[in-house]
Amino acid sequence: MKLHIDVEKKLGAFSLQVKADISGEKTGIFGDSGSGKSTLVHLISGLMQPDKGEIILNEQCLFSTHQKINISAAQRRIAIVFQQPMLFPHLSVKANLLYGFKRCHTENRLIKPDALIDLLKLQPLLLRGVEHLSGGEKQRVALGRAVLANPRLLLMDEPLSALDDTLRFQIIPYLRSVSEEFRIPYLFISHSMTEMQLMTDHILEIENGRCIDETTPEQLARDRMAKSQKGYLNLLHLSSPRHENGLYIYTWGRNTLFISAGQQTEKSLFELSSREIILFKKHPEAISARNLLECRVAEMFESDERVGVVLSANGEKIVAEIVRQAADELNINTGATLFAAIKASSFRRLA
Amino acid sequence: MKPSMKRIVVLCFAFLTMAAPAMAGELNLSVAASLKEVINELTATYSAQHPSIVFVKNFGSSGTLAAQIENGAPADLFISANTEWMEYLKEKKLVVAASEKTFAFNSLVFAGTTQKNVSSMNDLPALEKIAIGSPKSVPAGEYAMTAIKKAGIETKLANKLVMAKDVKECLMYAEIGEVDGAFIYRTDALQAQKAKLLFVVPQKLYPRVVYPMALTVKAVDNNDAKAFEAYLQGTEAKSVLQKFGFILK
Amino acid sequence: MLLAPEDITAIWLSIKVALTATVLSLPFGFTVAWLIVFKPFKGKVFLEVLVNLPLTLPPVVIGFFLLLLLGKNGWIGKLLIEYGIALIFTWKAAVIASATVGFPLLVRSIRLGMESIDRQLLDASRSLGAHWYDTLLTIILPLSLRGILAGSSLMFARSLGEFGATIIVAGNIPGITQTIPLAIYDYASSPSSTTMALSLCMVSVVISVTVLFLHELLNRQLDRKRAL
Repeated sequence: MKLHIDVEKKLGAFSLQVKADISGEKTGIFGDSGSGKSTLVHLISGLMQPDKGEIILNEQCLFSTHQKINISAAQRRIAIVFQQPMLFPHLSVKANLLYGFKRCHTENRLIKPDALIDLLKLQPLLLRGVEHLSGGEKQRVALGRAVLANPRLLLMDEPLSALDDTLRFQIIPYLRSVSEEFRIPYLFISHSMTEMQLMTDHILEIENGRCIDETTPEQLARDRMAKSQKGYLNLLHLSSPRHENGLYIYTWGRNTLFISAGQQTEKSLFELSSREIILFKKHPEAISARNLLECRVAEMFESDERVGVVLSANGEKIVAEIVRQAADELNINTGATLFAAIKASSFRRLA
Repeated sequence: MKPSMKRIVVLCFAFLTMAAPAMAGELNLSVAASLKEVINELTATYSAQHPSIVFVKNFGSSGTLAAQIENGAPADLFISANTEWMEYLKEKKLVVAASEKTFAFNSLVFAGTTQKNVSSMNDLPALEKIAIGSPKSVPAGEYAMTAIKKAGIETKLANKLVMAKDVKECLMYAEIGEVDGAFIYRTDALQAQKAKLLFVVPQKLYPRVVYPMALTVKAVDNNDAKAFEAYLQGTEAKSVLQKFGFILK
Repeated sequence: MLLAPEDITAIWLSIKVALTATVLSLPFGFTVAWLIVFKPFKGKVFLEVLVNLPLTLPPVVIGFFLLLLLGKNGWIGKLLIEYGIALIFTWKAAVIASATVGFPLLVRSIRLGMESIDRQLLDASRSLGAHWYDTLLTIILPLSLRGILAGSSLMFARSLGEFGATIIVAGNIPGITQTIPLAIYDYASSPSSTTMALSLCMVSVVISVTVLFLHELLNRQLDRKRAL
């Protein structure tokens, strides 16, 4: 997928000016509220017209002031998953799902309803009306509807922001599987770092209507570590724990982790803030924290007044955050050995 | 009550009671619509001769006027376009039977702007629309309906009759040309600008058009009313009636 | 209860005129409401004022204007006469009178229904490949059904009671244009016909109540369908 955008749009006091070339299957657009992300989505999809500029998708010109081209939203084959599901209330789940599919030319109908319904587990919901579905069910249907339209590009405009945390991380696997199974490139818009980490491999950062950076999720997380409320969020995919004495014991690579908020499920996703890791130069003989990992400093980076220490624990990477003063005091350098202490309660289970 | 409020109430009372004596020289007339022009001239003349008299005139279809009087409308003199409505009020004892006199007579004609050849009742079924006063309350309409039935063309004219609320409205319909013609009085036809008098309805088809007039029971002791009724019977009034085309005998 | 044969005719005529006026006005009312709610254009204010005008004018004034417009010497009437179409004093004029008087009520109700449609639903529809006419038919129309229903009922009921404009432009012609209100008026001018007038009044009330009832029922049906 190749998307070339060079657009300008003025909305009252707010002005948007974005020039970017996006390629790849999983791109993110990151920014705080009011930064212009939604406006950009509306411009790319054709729901709003730029004041001037051009938009070219895969060599096809969708909009050009110069050449006087403006392809209508209905013909761009760019589907959107909105923040609110926006399901058509007068149609059943099945009718909703097939809405875009029916309007897609037969030769473009590569994704078939049955395959999608299976993947998103929508079978039991098919004949129901949409009013009484749960939030998560609605968003899954919305996703299915957008995908079944067989778009060339899927725009997801904060699709998870309206859901609570548990739901959010339950839907993400569906989003990923749909993309992988059906090979639809997407633009994922969000203000959540964690979502970015899980969904995208490169990111456009938007602020005040301008594209201020093109970066990767990892880099973005590092840059924002100091500013963010929870520092750098380490994401750990763990599975099949043992349950002993009220704690869940997970295997993490060649390490063992003791976690309070575990669950006896196959796969779990945990979040660990960089600020919850305490570093020791020497092995503390006795410590209340149940996790003590011997690590080697793989890398160090700066983020405002903080220092991010990338630790390697038997091959597994984790990022700790300390103040500059501490880094100087402990004389931490790349290659040094440190002990990382993490409380069992510090791990937050996302899904 | 506050003093200022009290003053306003007193003033209102005074105004109302003062207004009452002013009504003493007022004469309320309920008159059939077809007499509008002639009564307007007669009251103007009379007012000039008797400056203290003020006329309040109410024109309409005789049936409507009778209904109004029955429901308490203020009227001192009632002039109907047929005997039916006068009898109705006499029965209800709302008019002074002893004061009943005949004001004038009239005749029914058919007038209109149609280009078609219309010279008798039998030519009427060829027309599209004919205006007629609503027989339920307009004497002119009742007379016309009687004539239509007697001429045997009632069924042929079904769905062609446009009901008007009084004879003046009939004239209006005829004038604007939205109907082919209308049943109106000869006196109305004389007033018409565009509608031509096409034929006079044969008298044998309908009862004579009589305008009875009488004092209402409300005005039984009203000398002004009695005096005006007498005036309407006098020679001056008769010459005005003749001028307008009314029949006197 | 006393009902003369002319009264029965008046009842059928009333229903016929009200139904025709409502059915004929629906497509126009829907289009106008759609234009006002969804399409920005210069001079939209004038359209809104024009549509609402009959609401503020006395019906006789409306009737008078219609007479000026459609009469033999009227601006439009003159043209129609050439094609042999005469509207004044026909039941078609009664339909036009009712349609004119009821139009603002129809548009108002449909507007309300349309305004409650979330715009993002229309965005979703477009992004899924629907052109504007497709969105209009598959999304806007079904979702404005409640408004359309309310507007139609209001318009039908208003038409049943229409008098002022009707009597001027359609005249009081028993069998052709004498609707229930006109028939009652005829009876009311005559003091001896009060019982007949009352009977017709009762019929009028019964019809109105039935219309309101049906409206409620249909509303419930619509709700039930959604709640599945």
